[in-house]
Amino acid sequence: MSSQINGVFSQASARIAKSVADFLPGLLAFVLTLAFSALLAFIARRMIRGFLRGIDFDQRLKQWGFSELAEWSPAHSPSLLIAAITYWLIILVGVLIGISALDASLTQVLVLRLFNYVPHVLAAILIVTVGFFLARFFARSVLISAVNMQVQSARLLSLGVKWLVMLLAGAMALEHLGIGGDIVQLSFGILFGGIVLALALAVGLGSKDMVSRSLERQAERSADEEEIAGRFHHL
Amino acid sequence: MEALSEETREQLGRIGTARVVVGIPTFNNRETIGRIAEASLAALSNHLSSESAVIVNADGASKDGTPEHLREVIGEKVPLIQVRYPMYPVRRLSAPLAGVPGRQEAAGTIFALAKQLGAGVCAVFDADLESVTPEWIERMVAPVLEDGIDLVVPCYLRHKFDGMINNGIVSPFLRALYGKRLRQPVGADLSFSARLVDFYAAQENSSGDAPSFADPWDTVPVIANGFRIGQSFLGPRAVHPREVSPDLSDTLRQVLTTVFDPLERTASFWQKVRSSEDVPWFGPALAVDAEHVDINIKRMIDSFRLGCQDLAGIWNVILPPATLLDLRRMLRLPDGEFCFHDEVWARTVYDFALGYHQRVIGRDHLLKALTPLYLGWVASFVKELQDANAEQVEQRQERLSRQFETQKRYLISRWRWPDRFSP
Repeated sequence: MSSQINGVFSQASARIAKSVADFLPGLLAFVLTLAFSALLAFIARRMIRGFLRGIDFDQRLKQWGFSELAEWSPAHSPSLLIAAITYWLIILVGVLIGISALDASLTQVLVLRLFNYVPHVLAAILIVTVGFFLARFFARSVLISAVNMQVQSARLLSLGVKWLVMLLAGAMALEHLGIGGDIVQLSFGILFGGIVLALALAVGLGSKDMVSRSLERQAERSADEEEIAGRFHHL
Repeated sequence: MEALSEETREQLGRIGTARVVVGIPTFNNRETIGRIAEASLAALSNHLSSESAVIVNADGASKDGTPEHLREVIGEKVPLIQVRYPMYPVRRLSAPLAGVPGRQEAAGTIFALAKQLGAGVCAVFDADLESVTPEWIERMVAPVLEDGIDLVVPCYLRHKFDGMINNGIVSPFLRALYGKRLRQPVGADLSFSARLVDFYAAQENSSGDAPSFADPWDTVPVIANGFRIGQSFLGPRAVHPREVSPDLSDTLRQVLTTVFDPLERTASFWQKVRSSEDVPWFGPALAVDAEHVDINIKRMIDSFRLGCQDLAGIWNVILPPATLLDLRRMLRLPDGEFCFHDEVWARTVYDFALGYHQRVIGRDHLLKALTPLYLGWVASFVKELQDANAEQVEQRQERLSRQFETQKRYLISRWRWPDRFSP
């Protein structure tokens, strides 16, 4: 009996030892790959940063009209942003290669799924990026136009436009990623419709008098302006 | 220029040469075209009767019978050549500051005909002018024929508070940078010598049948290329009211684009200009109309304050800390003491020019963000000169222009060393 138990234990120990022995080279390979990719990523980051600084990339980007990118980059430097993205991409690739060293079949499935998902992720990133820039552009346009028209709540209007466009972009990106499904569409529809309804109610019921007073003031101002404009031109 | 029709070619052959070309670009100007046509006829048959002359009408496909009406008015008294200029949809959609939509193409078409006719002078007038007289034509044409001037810009009789973009930005800015004291550098009616017509024709982009000319209404290339420039006193300029006019911020955007755009191309020229000189005057001198007018400046000051409050985030990107500090000081002043000092104003305009050059934000946004500051300066200027006479207005204008000249060193420093020099 005891010899049987000993036999089972020794077999189990041998199996575990074999599994560990089988796994250890893979783990070592994973660690080595990770270390190598980290080193490669570090070198690539330094080289890219140096090169972009050398060609004065940040300043050129401003001249090409992408000044807004600087505002959202670490330390206001798009060069650093590009270097950081490259760094993390190399690390990610290193992790994937490392995992393949651990278990080939698992990695195959993982990589296949990952690559199937990549176009969706890229599309979502593109949508969010374009949405972000559009939101900033529209927000700035609304802010400047509203201030020039002497609208007192120009900043609020601009903020509203910015978040509306960003929400729209966010909802579209989530739909592309397959996260949330109909809930995202539904909640966006409710939110958007709610805002419009709230504004309509506010103007139609709650602020009727205020709106009419504001319109009257506007009409008086326009009449004054027309009288002066008939005589004087800014140009 | 669109291909000339058989009839136009025959007409050109019959006319041969002409020393004077009066160009009238039109686009749906039936109501007003008669005035400029009659003034041209009178000038060509009286003051300029000794010169062979042709009237060239470049029309952008008017739908109200403008070319037909012009033919009726001119009759056989003076040779008239009528051609179409290419009207691109983008031009039709935008509201031009002056003249017809697509006036560059119209001018190009007129210049091409003037060149074929071997004209010594080509004077281009707006078709919506209501106050034009025969003397205007003569005063615009004579300096080119008699004094060898290459470009004659008009100087209209205006009220002291009329044309503040010109008085407060364009005139002092161009004077400081390019060294020519032009009172109204953005006049709509201009006169060009044959040399200048050749210069514009040489810049023609001969891609297909749609040539694009440099904007002949931009005086900077004329100055920078060493052409002789003169200014003629004309009377008050009244134009037919337009259906669609650009609002103030759009006007600023359009004008300042024309003013700031050549800065990069001409940097080596304007950085060498150290002082300014008078430009020859023609015609009887006209003083500024200084009649007292009550203008409500409170709204302009309010607009400035609203800009300080809401556009601070944008101005922070364009203006250096010292200018921002000055603006914050002005924000705290009560209406009665409100004052936009010339030094701050000149630096502000230069900072916007630098921001435009460096593209710190989108250029349209940048130029439109100047509107509240401009209104603040107008309020200060109007408040100061409410009761001033013509002489005092002239002196005040001179002080402002000198301040722009003094502050030019600031522009050059920031232009050359944008990172190192930020006061």
